Amino acid sequence: MSQVINTLFNGLSLSSIILLTSLGLAITFGLMRVINMAHGEFVMVGAYITYVVQQLFVKYVPQSLFSLYYFAALIAAFLAAAILGCLLEKVVISRLYGREIDSLLATSGISLVLQQAARSIFGSQGVNVNAPSFLTGGLSVGGVTFSYNRIFIILLVAVTMAAMWFVIYRTNFGSQMRAVMQNRPMAQCLGINSRRVDNLTFGLGSGLAGIAGCSVALLGSIDSTVGQSYIVNSFIAVVLGGVGKLAGTVLGSGIIGFAGITIERFMSSSIAKALVLILIIVFLQKKPQGLFTIRSRSLDE
Amino acid sequence: MKIVEKCKQNINHICFGLIAVALAIVPPLISAGSVSTPTGIFLGKCIAFAIVAIGLDLIWGYTGILSLGHGLYFALGGYAMAMYLKLSATGGKITEFMHTGGLTELPLIWEPFNNLPAAIALMIIVPGLLAGIVGYFIFKNRVKGVYFSIISQALTWAAYSVFIALSPYTNGNVGITEIKSVLGSIRGGANQGNLFTLFYIALGVLILIYALSAYLVSTKFGKLLVAIRDGENRTYFSGYKVSRYKNFVYVLSAVIAAVAGAIFVNFNGSITPSQMTISYSITMVIWVAIGGRGTLVGAVLGAFIMNLCEYNLSSGALAEVWQYIIGGIFCIAILFFKGGIVGLFKEQIPARIRKLTNRRSKEGAENG
Amino acid sequence: MARPMLGLVPDHRTQDINVLKINGISVVFDGFSALSEVNVEVRRNTVHFFIGPNGAGKTTLLDIICAKTKPTSGTVYFYPKSRSPVRLTGMKEHSIVNEGVARKFQVPSVFVNLTVLENMILSLKGHKGVLDSIFHRPENDDFDDIDRILERVDLRERKQVKAGSLAHGEKQWLEIAMQLVQKPEIIMLDEPAAGMGKPETEKTGEILREIKKTCTVIVVEHDMEFVKQAADTVTVLHEGKVLAEGAIDDVLADQTVQAVYLGRGGGEPPQTNVN
Repeated sequence: MSQVINTLFNGLSLSSIILLTSLGLAITFGLMRVINMAHGEFVMVGAYITYVVQQLFVKYVPQSLFSLYYFAALIAAFLAAAILGCLLEKVVISRLYGREIDSLLATSGISLVLQQAARSIFGSQGVNVNAPSFLTGGLSVGGVTFSYNRIFIILLVAVTMAAMWFVIYRTNFGSQMRAVMQNRPMAQCLGINSRRVDNLTFGLGSGLAGIAGCSVALLGSIDSTVGQSYIVNSFIAVVLGGVGKLAGTVLGSGIIGFAGITIERFMSSSIAKALVLILIIVFLQKKPQGLFTIRSRSLDE
Repeated sequence: MKIVEKCKQNINHICFGLIAVALAIVPPLISAGSVSTPTGIFLGKCIAFAIVAIGLDLIWGYTGILSLGHGLYFALGGYAMAMYLKLSATGGKITEFMHTGGLTELPLIWEPFNNLPAAIALMIIVPGLLAGIVGYFIFKNRVKGVYFSIISQALTWAAYSVFIALSPYTNGNVGITEIKSVLGSIRGGANQGNLFTLFYIALGVLILIYALSAYLVSTKFGKLLVAIRDGENRTYFSGYKVSRYKNFVYVLSAVIAAVAGAIFVNFNGSITPSQMTISYSITMVIWVAIGGRGTLVGAVLGAFIMNLCEYNLSSGALAEVWQYIIGGIFCIAILFFKGGIVGLFKEQIPARIRKLTNRRSKEGAENG
Repeated sequence: MARPMLGLVPDHRTQDINVLKINGISVVFDGFSALSEVNVEVRRNTVHFFIGPNGAGKTTLLDIICAKTKPTSGTVYFYPKSRSPVRLTGMKEHSIVNEGVARKFQVPSVFVNLTVLENMILSLKGHKGVLDSIFHRPENDDFDDIDRILERVDLRERKQVKAGSLAHGEKQWLEIAMQLVQKPEIIMLDEPAAGMGKPETEKTGEILREIKKTCTVIVVEHDMEFVKQAADTVTVLHEGKVLAEGAIDDVLADQTVQAVYLGRGGGEPPQTNVN
């Protein structure tokens, strides 16, 4: 029983990280039909920013306040990734609207550059973040230990999701974003500056990846490929959940996270990865509709 | 006049011919001492890269299906060849890493690789079958565009982690190392003959695969690939079972990649799972994109140019810069030069010249 | 007005006269009913028009015949000339084409990077397998056919031109030519006159009357002049239902049709070509 709970708990925490990274992908793809292969590198940026902020705190801030570095890092990671995202959108992606495959390729070029930049700055060896003191240890309930940092990650994702929900459904910017997503020409006719909406949305999605990077930093060492290992899962979650559908993305992330962790209990983690992929290809056999159909009078777009 | 026309029509094939001739004189140059043996071995690897680039161009440049997982097929071919070569080095006995992994006798999977024809057959069948099965399910459901790319990428990633996990059989992260070529060692002055023969075999395979692909794209089949790229649904409504065509070309390019992998191993002397990664697969796409997608010679050209640049730049202080350059060039090529180098020379520069001459003649007319 | 009988079991005895039977077709998209219980029979060697205001379900009906869209209920039967009846519903697009039901789309869709001739060769009847496409070469008869059909649509001189550089009207004709070279028994055209000038439209009408000698033509159209010029039978669709059916003059004289078209029913005048 305790093992089952433990598996569920780990599945939940993995799902929440995947959700955080796939959400950014899902909204940018839904809004702009652009696949951002450099999204994983935004996760990496977030993780390294966490490391940098920690180093700064060690140097300049009294020991007693050290634990607070993590909150500063969260904000810094979000901002850094968001600004980088806005910049990338302005310089590269805005030229590639509607060219899905080309956007994928161009951003993978960017991803090479960012990875090398990380290696140039921080070296190819991984660096580690000391978890703030309030996140060490865990909560024991009836023989099951819930580590604090995983609980924290789950809470962090829940709070971020709530904030995202608020932004998308309760703010002026959110309604503009939804309008552009549903009918771009019409939204433009209504006076919405769709370019600005695109830019900010892309920044927002990237910022979420930055926050994901912060939480990834708690779980292991950080190197230039840290984003890659999460991003493949996120891509699959987006495909599985139905592109551009936020609820689908939540569901997709959940399925990937839980399935991965559950299979991992019985087999090695690499076999689990392969099995999850096979399961998904099988799933797509049953339900390719909703994910891939387009309804239009023109035959091929 | 007629000859000029003919040459113009076949300019791509002529370019490829020139590349082949240039490669053919590499061994004499090595004998003469003007090209070093390591460079010769490196050019051999480039031939393998050019072959995989042709395969990738067939599926991406012509058919418009972007596979981000051709490293997997390249590596599968490479591993099949490496397993044979490893066993011929140990005399068919169990290898050291299997001992370390806790195996006491040669695993069943390795048995067929004792024999060269069987190894070559498996080198083609395994990737072909895998591509066939995956492609069947994916294409049947009309998964296309970026969705296909994402799934092919995930497939490579999964295979990579499986190969690392099965380390008693595959030697995990390290891969299969310390092997000679099919002809024996190719390193050192005494083995120059082996290197030359191997080099010409590889060149022969490259020419064969180029010719085969050039024939294919010239037939109705090739036109259909373009038709599928430009209007997949229209092709269905012209009465073609598009999914079958896509699967065919996917398997074909996977097998071509596997052949390339096998040639690569002979020159490289080892194969590691890093050839199976997503980033390696994307590197292959970069070669094709830079050279010029949709033309076979562009793929070959791209593979040679990018690898030669890397070979000359990535040693020493410039190693870091190279990554920035390749990422930057790739990004710029996608943004502004869709046709790559070939497109630049065939379309963009002529268009620019035409514009200039037009303007000049217009100015001339206005002045006069 | 020949309203077909409602019935779940189709009456195959009529297959000498009819070439297509649309039997109780309904389509629901996300709760919106695009077509409900549509029953139409199409007679052999006629030009059969589907007209109606925007959103009446005309294009959806064509989509269902050629399997681009799946119906929620109902079936479509095809009666080939000297073979047994074929149930089109449930078949794949390419098999339907190979049975002899061709379709031209509203937005011209030709293969832009191939020449006119290559477009035509790809559309030839038969030899659609992978190996055939590599090893089979079209015969001289096929090239004669292509030339004859291209001549009819004034594209013979432009065989070596890339289809992407043709004018809009020429693309429309090329797509029609591509359907003809498949030698279909039924050819379905979605707004063939859209974007064409008056002389071109008239020529298209002539072509339709000519090709009905060898096959049946089903057309979806807005342009009433064109309908009057070319139609044998007209079916009026309105909000997913068959409103009227018969010869063009009878249909236009019908009170309900007038109501729909003249705006009292919330529709729009027939001449508008919004798409």
